[in-house]
Amino acid sequence: MTGAQTRLVAAAAVLCLLIAPFWLNPFSVTLLNYIGIYALAAIGLALLTGVGGIISFGQAAFVGIAAYSTAWVSAANGYSPWLGLALAIVMTCAIAGILGFVTLRLQGHFLSLSTVAWGLAIYFLFGNIDGLGNYNGISNIPPIAIGSLLLTESWQIYLLIWGIVVAVLILCYNLLDSRVGRAMRALRGGNTLVESLGISAFRIKLLTFVLAAFLGALSGWLYAHLSRFISPGPFDAGMGIEYLMMAMVGGAGSVLGGVVGAAIVTLLKNSVQDYLPLIARGASGQLEIVAFSALFILFLQRARQGIVPFLAGFLPEPKLAVPQPAAALPRRAQPAPGKLLLKVDAVERRFGGLVAVNNVSFEVRAGEILGLIGPNGAGKSTIFNLLTGALRVNGGEIAFAGRPITHDPQCHIARAGVARTFQHVKLRPRMSLLDNVLLGTYARTRSGLLAGALRLDRAEEASARYAALCELQRVGLGEKPFELAGNLPLGNQRLLEIARALAADPALLVLDEPAAGLRRQEKLRLAELLRALRKDNLTILLVEHDMEFVMTLVDRIVVLDFGSKLCEGEPAAIRGDARVQEAYLGGVA
Amino acid sequence: MRKLMSLTALLAGLMAATAARAEITIGFVTSLSGNGSSIGIPYGKGIAAAVEYRGEVNGEKIRLIQLDDGSDPSAATRNARKLIEEDKVDILIGTATAPSTIAMMAVANELKVPMIAVSPVVGAPNAADQWGISVPQPAGLLVKIVADRMKRDHMKNIGYIGFSDAWGDLVYNGAKAAEGGEDIKILTNERYARTDTSVTGQILKIMAVHPDAVLIGGSGTQGALPLLTLAERGFKGKTYGTVALVNPDFVRVGGKAAEGIQVSAGPVIVAEQLPDDHFAKKLALAFRAAYQKANGAPTTDGFSAYSFDAWLIFTEAAARALKSAKPGTTDFRKALRDEILNTKELAGVHAVYNFKPGAYHGVDDRSLVIVKLTNGAWKYEP
Amino acid sequence: MTPDIAAILAIDGIASGAVYALVAIGTVLIFTVTRVIFIPFGDIAAFTALTLAALDAKQLPGTAALVAVLACLACAMESVALVRAGAARALPRAILCYLALPLIVVGIVWAAVKFDPPLPVRLVLTLMLITPIAPLLDRIVFRPIADGSVLLLLTVSVALHFALVGLGLMFFGPEGVRTEPLTSLSTEIGGITVSGQTVLILLAALLFSVLLFLFFDFTLIGKALRATAINRTGARLMGIRPARAGTIAYLLGSLMAGVSGILIAPVNTIFYDSGFLIGLKAFVGVIVGGMTSYPGAALGALGVGILESFASFESSTLKDVIVFSLLIPILLWLSFGAPHSDEEIEE
Repeated sequence: MTGAQTRLVAAAAVLCLLIAPFWLNPFSVTLLNYIGIYALAAIGLALLTGVGGIISFGQAAFVGIAAYSTAWVSAANGYSPWLGLALAIVMTCAIAGILGFVTLRLQGHFLSLSTVAWGLAIYFLFGNIDGLGNYNGISNIPPIAIGSLLLTESWQIYLLIWGIVVAVLILCYNLLDSRVGRAMRALRGGNTLVESLGISAFRIKLLTFVLAAFLGALSGWLYAHLSRFISPGPFDAGMGIEYLMMAMVGGAGSVLGGVVGAAIVTLLKNSVQDYLPLIARGASGQLEIVAFSALFILFLQRARQGIVPFLAGFLPEPKLAVPQPAAALPRRAQPAPGKLLLKVDAVERRFGGLVAVNNVSFEVRAGEILGLIGPNGAGKSTIFNLLTGALRVNGGEIAFAGRPITHDPQCHIARAGVARTFQHVKLRPRMSLLDNVLLGTYARTRSGLLAGALRLDRAEEASARYAALCELQRVGLGEKPFELAGNLPLGNQRLLEIARALAADPALLVLDEPAAGLRRQEKLRLAELLRALRKDNLTILLVEHDMEFVMTLVDRIVVLDFGSKLCEGEPAAIRGDARVQEAYLGGVA
Repeated sequence: MRKLMSLTALLAGLMAATAARAEITIGFVTSLSGNGSSIGIPYGKGIAAAVEYRGEVNGEKIRLIQLDDGSDPSAATRNARKLIEEDKVDILIGTATAPSTIAMMAVANELKVPMIAVSPVVGAPNAADQWGISVPQPAGLLVKIVADRMKRDHMKNIGYIGFSDAWGDLVYNGAKAAEGGEDIKILTNERYARTDTSVTGQILKIMAVHPDAVLIGGSGTQGALPLLTLAERGFKGKTYGTVALVNPDFVRVGGKAAEGIQVSAGPVIVAEQLPDDHFAKKLALAFRAAYQKANGAPTTDGFSAYSFDAWLIFTEAAARALKSAKPGTTDFRKALRDEILNTKELAGVHAVYNFKPGAYHGVDDRSLVIVKLTNGAWKYEP
Repeated sequence: MTPDIAAILAIDGIASGAVYALVAIGTVLIFTVTRVIFIPFGDIAAFTALTLAALDAKQLPGTAALVAVLACLACAMESVALVRAGAARALPRAILCYLALPLIVVGIVWAAVKFDPPLPVRLVLTLMLITPIAPLLDRIVFRPIADGSVLLLLTVSVALHFALVGLGLMFFGPEGVRTEPLTSLSTEIGGITVSGQTVLILLAALLFSVLLFLFFDFTLIGKALRATAINRTGARLMGIRPARAGTIAYLLGSLMAGVSGILIAPVNTIFYDSGFLIGLKAFVGVIVGGMTSYPGAALGALGVGILESFASFESSTLKDVIVFSLLIPILLWLSFGAPHSDEEIEE
């Protein structure tokens, strides 16, 4: 299915949506209205939880804030619902911003629990703020008016609701396919991965958080003006959980899944309500929730990824266009060969009582390949983590390109020109090769959230995509750029990581055991690639165990043992050094 | 593609062909689950008793469709729309929680279907285009009767503790409204949740102001919790409450601590203790018999009787409306609404009802008596 | 606030906190072995109280029907799985464990109800009836997705909670119950009466947390059970059966939930949906204790109880807002102090 065909199907679907109220019975229109409203909140949650990996139970609270804001403006104070929309968005996003700023640095369970905490706190506030009708709520909320037309009929507000839903879907799809969207999709790979690409994980999380709240705000505004009456009830913990269920049923990582999930949950509840009394009179009210939960559990057991990914497996693969040559992205000025690039000076790192890195000093000069070798546990990966900012230094100094980077966070060091790969490959297995490499170009591009959503970033995207394709071709993976990264064998995954690091246009390439798990032919190709990179004036620092690989490739070697530097020098000198043979090569050769 | 498929499924599931029926269709919504269920389930049983008592009007059969709103106002709204738009009901009756009832009322007003609310409704309707009435005594009246009794008992300082929900609000507002000059003063507004395990903090706060009496704004079993704590803390004053506390589990859990509490309630609670010429006596006994027959157990609370009275109002009005329109038509809905708003001196088990446009409630002081919990049973205290 | 009032509030807070502590310990138990945040724990505790009340009223509780249905379902699923795996020889044992034992228990309770047994017997019957519930639910609901992500397990846990609440409403009605206290003694501490029942709860919480702490940290079986949560495959390679570990954990958990319910029922009115909020506040205590520490969870839960007590004195309308809002700075403080563990990286 090509892009044009997909667009045709989407247009047909939208057309069906448009004419639906004119041939469905009125209650179905009512149901569709509610589905649309819930879908907006569920899409927000799909982005936050499915894409961003932040489990949030508090979406209902944001919907509530928006609903109460607009109700207060329009019902209690008599202004236009559009002003209510403005206040709803401002209030919800502001509160989300504050909450996110305070809580998004929490890890794992703490973060999820914090969403429960503020979700409940906000809900309990609704019933207690005087002027908001307490528990009896606010009635007589005016309908939305477009010009002189009042949206009082079901089908009128249907068009507004689904118009907004379709617009949101399109914008979200665009967003996820753009620079900021890729950064969001990278969040689930862990903070270390994200920061090593020069992306501030906290900022992207905050952005996703506020975006989800914004969508919740749209949902709340529409809800208030659809039901024309609000009370705290619909914004409690139970509803927060229901939104999460909708996102999960639809497919947690899929934006369309939010719509599908909302539809399934609402329709299921409706059918259960209709058919259960036929099976069990009398106790039908309580059995409804039991039947609904049982079906939900069954569903999660069978299709735990959600419906949309499940169905997508049956559809033909979309055919995507290979990036065409485009204007080049700005390139960094490489330092002159031989100049001091990285200076590690008496660096120390302790883990409790264990001294992992003990007073290690060495230098890396521009244009050379430096190898770091040593037995297992010598501290090589720890040094890498120290100089890329993934670990804090306990003592000593590190300077890069003349500037001290000892206490800089990972993200800054990455942007200064240090790109790295990892000992245990950190990729996004469900993203394509091209998308994974595009992550590396993040720091070289600048399009923001809005530009991505509105597709104003086409020129920059084209440049970035072409640059990414070139890097893929450089490492030899340019044949199938749209293959999923998780399908590659380990050796090619390492190459992909290198391609991603190259896409960042670094001054220093830090490779952690790039040849591990590679077969002989692959190692030869990798060595050739690294030599070619050195010819392009790229500086490379690598850790390796394979002696033959290291000795024939690098210019100089630094040997570590038990956290201390043993010696350094040319490969031939190192090979003959007795101490190295003792410690590393197992006695005199 | 996916949207198409889901839309088709929606269509297949929701086609409902309807035509004007000969029978009268009623849509009844109540909370059979969720935190309103302790009131909603009795409403359901009350309707069952009502159907047992009078199953048809002037030969026209009555079809009752019952839906559960799970104590959620959104669900109540959807149910109301479903009943009107899909099942084409002639009248709506419902529901157990105030917010859900208000939500349903808004739908009834929008789609022009008469509605009899069985929960108290706040505010005043638009007299020119009113479609709903409310059966229960308004919270303000409930509390006024209790306040009158408090004044009679020479109580001056009153402490209040109620649920943190709509009912707690209603009772507190009613109490504040009954203050009137120097007679009684409501000193505290403590709240607790139905699922709370302890109200010690709240009771300490109340006792710190040395009230003469405490007014309980809770309902059901958990209405007993403040009483238990008051007894623990050695409170010696009187206690008062509303009909929401009339519940056998409240009596059981409250035990000794609940003895002596006086509540305002509809006469049906103490039907057999009423004088023979009381308007509610015969009807209440008939209600009890019907309830026993329909539900297999005796009636034990005040809520089920509201549905019964709602049914009485509806059937009386329907009998008159049938003369001018056929069920299943918009004319019938209009006629039914007009007749309901024309109800005059209709005796129910809770009150004598008089409705007219411009107000939701149609009860007066005759609708309430004071009952006192004595030795585990409610005694009439005129 | 005078010192007197503060003392009363503190003791009251500890009394509520003790209730939360029991539930917190049980939650940690199940989490450390199965990675499931077992929200229905509170619901099972509530079921126990309601079952006991039903037995007190000489009625057969709906729990019996629930156990019977669950037993049939679990047995069916296990049989199908065994036959599919070609291990049909294990069938008789499976039927014994999953079907026969629970049904025997149900039968005993059904028979005993007719004889109006005394309180101690009723307690035993209640515990017997409740204990199979969690392991059976584990077999039916969690075993098929045992290797799923924590989010998936949590969502299923929540769905299960809704189902149990619905069943509870159906079986026991919307009104609450209180059972007779196990002891009517009461003591005086500093002029404030503390009921014997509360002391029992505190003692039970203390006992359980110490026992479980010793068991899981110092015995081989305990460590084996913990291993299955950390790495299922690794545990299997060491000869530990994750499935059996899960069953043991759920069995113990169910028993603890039952004991909690029995102890709590005389001091609090328990409704069909009381389990949720009690479980939630207990879970707060669990988080404060670091999710894997028993004494920590118990202390955290006590803290929540005390916080709630003082908050309800300060402003009863806003007490829940206060309790949950204060949780956030506590979480922040804990997060910065906690060791920075490897994030669970998901696909």
